[in-house]
Amino acid sequence: MRLPGWTREPLVHFLAAGTAIWFVLAWQGEPVDPASRTIAVAREDRARLALQWERTLQRPPTDAELDSLTEQFIREEVLYREALRLGLDRDDAVLRKRLATKMDYLAASMAETASATDATLEDWLKRHPERFAPEVRYSFDQAWFADRAAAGRALAGGTPQGEDISLPPALERAPRREVEQRFGEAFRQALDEAPVGQRWHGPVASGFGWHLVRLRAREAGPVPSLGAIRDKVEADWQSATAAARKQEAYRVLRQSYRITVAR
Amino acid sequence: MARLRGMRAGLLLGLAGAVGACGDRAAQVAEAEAEVALAEFPERPLWGDTHLHTDNSIDAFGFGTRLGPDEALRFARGEEVTATTGLKARLSRPLDFLVIADHSDGLGAMRRLYDAPRLLIRDKTLLRWHDMMHESPEGSQRAVAELVTAAANGTLPEALTDQADQEENTRDIWTAHLRTIDEFYEPGVFTPLAGFEYTLMPDGNNLHRVVMFRDGFERTSTVLPFPGVGEGKVDQLWDYMDAYEQATGGRVLAIPHNSNVSNGLMFELTDSDGGPMSAAYARRRAAREPVVEATQIKGDSESHPFLSPNDEFASFGDVGWELGNLPLTRPKSDAMFAGEYLREALKRGLSIEQRVGANPYAFGMIGSTDSHTSLATGDEDNFFGKHTGSEPAAGRALAAQNLGTSQGRFGWHYLAGGYAAVWANANTRAAIFDAMMRREVYATTGSRMVLRLFAGFDFTEADWRGDWVRAGYTRGVPMGGTLADSGKAPTFLISALKDPEGANLDRVQVVKGWATPDGETRERVYDVVWSDMDKRPRTGGRVPAVGDTVDREKATWTNTIGAPELRATWTDPDFTPGQRAFYYVRVLEIPTPRWPLHDAVRFGYTLPPEAMADAVAQERAYSSPVWIGPAEGAARPATVLFDRKRLSRG
Repeated sequence: MRLPGWTREPLVHFLAAGTAIWFVLAWQGEPVDPASRTIAVAREDRARLALQWERTLQRPPTDAELDSLTEQFIREEVLYREALRLGLDRDDAVLRKRLATKMDYLAASMAETASATDATLEDWLKRHPERFAPEVRYSFDQAWFADRAAAGRALAGGTPQGEDISLPPALERAPRREVEQRFGEAFRQALDEAPVGQRWHGPVASGFGWHLVRLRAREAGPVPSLGAIRDKVEADWQSATAAARKQEAYRVLRQSYRITVAR
Repeated sequence: MARLRGMRAGLLLGLAGAVGACGDRAAQVAEAEAEVALAEFPERPLWGDTHLHTDNSIDAFGFGTRLGPDEALRFARGEEVTATTGLKARLSRPLDFLVIADHSDGLGAMRRLYDAPRLLIRDKTLLRWHDMMHESPEGSQRAVAELVTAAANGTLPEALTDQADQEENTRDIWTAHLRTIDEFYEPGVFTPLAGFEYTLMPDGNNLHRVVMFRDGFERTSTVLPFPGVGEGKVDQLWDYMDAYEQATGGRVLAIPHNSNVSNGLMFELTDSDGGPMSAAYARRRAAREPVVEATQIKGDSESHPFLSPNDEFASFGDVGWELGNLPLTRPKSDAMFAGEYLREALKRGLSIEQRVGANPYAFGMIGSTDSHTSLATGDEDNFFGKHTGSEPAAGRALAAQNLGTSQGRFGWHYLAGGYAAVWANANTRAAIFDAMMRREVYATTGSRMVLRLFAGFDFTEADWRGDWVRAGYTRGVPMGGTLADSGKAPTFLISALKDPEGANLDRVQVVKGWATPDGETRERVYDVVWSDMDKRPRTGGRVPAVGDTVDREKATWTNTIGAPELRATWTDPDFTPGQRAFYYVRVLEIPTPRWPLHDAVRFGYTLPPEAMADAVAQERAYSSPVWIGPAEGAARPATVLFDRKRLSRG
């Protein structure tokens, strides 16, 4: 048998499913008011209890077991509603903290499931290039002197002969991190200010003493295109957005409160 | 309860999705690892901490830490994070690698106890701890103090020791943790390795080990961290490690730590049952435990004046810790020291080797933090404390830090923590792990000085004028290596370069230990090179003190004394052919303020005389030893020897 073409349209599936869900919800009625004194255990509730049992014990409950589960469920619900009526939820530190965490989680999870469009990510990349740019790389020769005056004299005399020390006389395309690990921060900062070229420059200070440097290249690589690092940008955007959402959701809620603190 | 089960089902579904995603991540990691260039010889030491606790550790959470592995990794790689107590924290320089080693026992249990609905907690002790944790940070710390004591005394509530009950929760946390570290792994730049702490503690005597894996998610997720608390012995941990390697083809090693609070049990002359040590047992221990943590926040275990009365620098980081075992439930007797300090253990190793043919204590040395704040800080002026209760605040240096009892240990007894320096030829898991296996590592008390050591028979002063690193590797062995006795005295090339951001160097020493033919052991400390040697000649057999530039009022010092680098070509003047010996290097910086002095200045108070006497110290580095022994027979240490081919990824 061949079904008519319209039965294969996604829009039709969507409408049909929507209608079905509407009917189910309409038949169920409003969600239970915690303060009401009516407890109706629906077939669905019993099915859920049975399923939980089965997941735990790997077999369905007998009728007697299911009845006893239902009794437990009713008991819990009765006590829960009475507890709410007595306001026991209000000064329970654990409950407070737990519900607050859930609210945070809700706000964050909306951001986590949201997938960003290319335009959003392009924008993110443009606004935070420093997070994705490759590290600055330095290519240089250096000569070390214990004494500043000796370094000054060596600079005047052409190609300098440094004193003995276990530092590399040259590094090729060394990332900023490595230059700092081996020579320290002051030296790396001096490289940022040194002229690039074939001339010797200095003396510049480091934690070891004094250096003459010939900075052959300083490359601040371009930020890669979104296509090359999409996963990284998206992960960064998501974690930043989740944090911002939490913060924003809280801000909006807090605004609707008038808060006074006695000090 | 029903709701809880539903949540668990949800978690499992989430997990299934995550495992799928991890497959992709594993492929990405493998690709990135393959792109990392391998240096012919290691060019610079990689800096790391192999011993950091996060809020997944039962005690760290109880002490109040609320930062997890994610923050710990961000912090280690150089980002700013907010510490639990609200202060912004950042390392002055990033680390190259990190092992988060949360306690395997009750992994995440304290957080679950904290989060659990009060009504569902049946056990009275657990209920009390739950209430204490919710009451206040101080209550929380008291709860942990009780917990550590209970663990030491074997009286933990059943709910915390029942492995079947813990297993499901442990698996969730372990799996999530392994995913996190794989996400942060950036081969060539930053390397988190999988690990946990095995907390074996008979009667409160510390036999803890950090267990560290070479592998990624696919292998490490097939096992769970091995529990340590209870009636165990360390052989069971080694069985677990054997089983892991056999089942997965992966590699794993263990790092003993805080032997200084083991009350003599860490480096015994017997096997773990108290019987005579067999060659097989000795070989197994050396192969499983190639490196030992020499220094960390809870003191320094390199040497003790009782064992080394002729070593004027032997007492660093011993005060307070020498009083007894970890929770101070049992005091220490002098006879226990020999089983606690690393130098003595290295000597015992030689003597055992002479007797049975294998050396159980042929280990290298590293430093680490053992910080319980998720913050791997090692600098004196940036110390974030042992645990959240000792994060920067006025008075922390003077507070009683009792770990179970109220006697004898105070904040200022803590060291700021050490770091592990690893001579690996690339910043990858494999290269770091393999360097540890061949012991090409050294310990520092937090400073980042660069220490090279090569041993051979034909080094001369002339080697310094050429490519001496190549000479060292091709004509000798680096730290951690072994020389076969050729009847000739060994010669060492030693270079110690100061931390570019730190203090100048005072001196370089070689510590030699050896065994006499009748099995006795001896030691000697040689000053081999020091700053301003012409102005500081040896007098009465000793090198005079370097001086002290520390301003006690301001906690500052100047590099007007000391040297930026010290180099030596040193030949053992007392070598006796046929004798088993080890040699390691100890480098001392000039005196600088310790963290309590920085604290006193920052918070504006005066340290009591006892603390003031220990407020200035000489930071230091300990190399792994080089061993020498008979070329024939079973004399070689049982661990992997240096072999350049093993430098490759394998």
